[in-house]
Amino acid sequence: MNALHFFKPDLLWLLPLCLLPLLSYGVKQFSYAGLEDWPKDRVSELLRWGVRIIAVLALASLVIASAAPFTEGGTISRIGKGAEIVIVLDRSGSMSESLEEQDPVERARGKMKISRIGAAREVLLKLMDQRPGDTFGVVVFNASPIAVAPLSADRELARAALKSAEANSSGFTAINRALEMGLDYFDDRPYTATRLILLVSDGDTKIKPEDEKILKQRFKDTQAQLMWIYVHTGYDFSLEYEEDISKEEGAVDPNVALNSLFRSMGMPYQAFEVNSESGLQRAVTEIGKATNKPTRYEYRLPRQDYAVYCYLLSMILLGILFWLKRIEIKAWRK
Amino acid sequence: MSQQQPLIHYHIRWRPSGHQPGAGHGIVPGAGDQLRSVVPLRDHPDPRRLDLRTSVRDPFKNIWVRDFYLNSALKVIVLVDTSASMGYIGYVNRFQVAKEVASQLALSAYRSGDAFGVYLAGEKMNKERMLPPKANRSAWLWLQQHFMNIKREGEHAGGLFDVVAYLPQNPCLVFIVSDFRWPEGKLKSLLKKLSHHDVVPVMLQDPTEIDKQPKRGIAILNDAETGKKQFVWMRPSLQQQMAAMRAKHVKSVREACNVLGARPFIVRGEFKTASLTEYFMGANI
Repeated sequence: MNALHFFKPDLLWLLPLCLLPLLSYGVKQFSYAGLEDWPKDRVSELLRWGVRIIAVLALASLVIASAAPFTEGGTISRIGKGAEIVIVLDRSGSMSESLEEQDPVERARGKMKISRIGAAREVLLKLMDQRPGDTFGVVVFNASPIAVAPLSADRELARAALKSAEANSSGFTAINRALEMGLDYFDDRPYTATRLILLVSDGDTKIKPEDEKILKQRFKDTQAQLMWIYVHTGYDFSLEYEEDISKEEGAVDPNVALNSLFRSMGMPYQAFEVNSESGLQRAVTEIGKATNKPTRYEYRLPRQDYAVYCYLLSMILLGILFWLKRIEIKAWRK
Repeated sequence: MSQQQPLIHYHIRWRPSGHQPGAGHGIVPGAGDQLRSVVPLRDHPDPRRLDLRTSVRDPFKNIWVRDFYLNSALKVIVLVDTSASMGYIGYVNRFQVAKEVASQLALSAYRSGDAFGVYLAGEKMNKERMLPPKANRSAWLWLQQHFMNIKREGEHAGGLFDVVAYLPQNPCLVFIVSDFRWPEGKLKSLLKKLSHHDVVPVMLQDPTEIDKQPKRGIAILNDAETGKKQFVWMRPSLQQQMAAMRAKHVKSVREACNVLGARPFIVRGEFKTASLTEYFMGANI
């Protein structure tokens, strides 16, 4: 059992006041000619002490109640199911390009294959349908991030947020700020489920070293993991080309750099390279597997407040005293 | 000043001695209304009392006069218990009732030409405030003025035994005004010491002690004499016990008095002089 604490322990110094009823009876006194032949009455004798003890207890419980006793609730280990997933969706101009390779002529004719963002959106919507136990939040970003749907049980909001996400070029991709905003969603929430930042992006951006530091700390604080769905067409470098590129060209592809940066930051991280719609779906299945693992977490129980019981007790005792005062004899006569 | 009450007509069953004229039938010759004997004129030279019938019948032609018993004065003495229990105030102020008894007796004694005396005693006899038995016109006023100033204190009335020595040697009419909340046997031994007097124990009671007690409720009773505190939860059963106790008390007082030929006069609440007169007429037994 947990130790008893007091919110206002100073008030306990008032406890000696409880002895006041022992000094006087608190019952009206009458002078009487002679008690030498008063019949011995056990009930009266009991009540004489009873009244004083009740008064002492009533005062004591009032003082203790005002000192607000409580016990710490402690923590219990719980297993959380499901995940809290913040979808950080890139809506930069490049996301409007088609996912699969396309003949430029056909493209000029207006026969568009499905765009990267469109494919991502559909697959993400499916993901939401498949995982009814999860909580979703949505951040979209191009030049600056927008918090579209907060992390909540309101699925319709997240769904609408995804549906309304359209690519729009603004020349700059603020991936670090988007990630930070996504991580902000986890603030002030108890850690009860796997936390996942699902970054859906085609990369092509850099994270500055000072931002990297901040991001690293934020990931550590929120205990979130990162999954990057790297949406790209076949033309782009695979994330695995790191070694060769750096040797031959002397310059690193930004996506490869980003990948290695994420890997070095220390949080659980996985990257999925996706260059077709089916690939995207495969990635989503993978995500499902990764986040299906139950989360073991410490749940802090609320502290137990005993003031209520003390007040209740003193209420009952004061009620009894009130009744005794009511049946008190006001004048010694009929 | 208390309201005017009819005089108390006390009455004794013996003839008081003494040459002080009064209302009782005495045993010494003098002016009276009861014929004592017929004596020659030369023995009692009062021609107003000439007894013609006896004088005519006398062959020796002596002249006879009647001789009467003197209507003698009686000595009425009131002993008052001033222990703390006499300060009890219920429906009536007990000491006020005691004052009423004493002052009405003083008035009646004066009107009958009797001597009146008062002795007060708590634990000790009160020697500052005593009134030796004299034909005292102002005894009544003295009581009116000083009686209530007397302190009611002391745990018992043992001082009354000291008073006995101050009483006259010849028989008097003695009233003992008290509530008789005395230890067992005390009253009996006092009555024994006063046995050559005509004693009337006047027992003061208050209805709040007997049947006018509160029916139910809680209170603390404070013994006036010992200061002992008693927590009471009044309820009908306890009240019945109380009433039984008081009845037992009265019974024990009666029994103690019966042994020595006295009869207690019980005052419940207010004192009425008429009821004391009735007592002397034998109605209140």
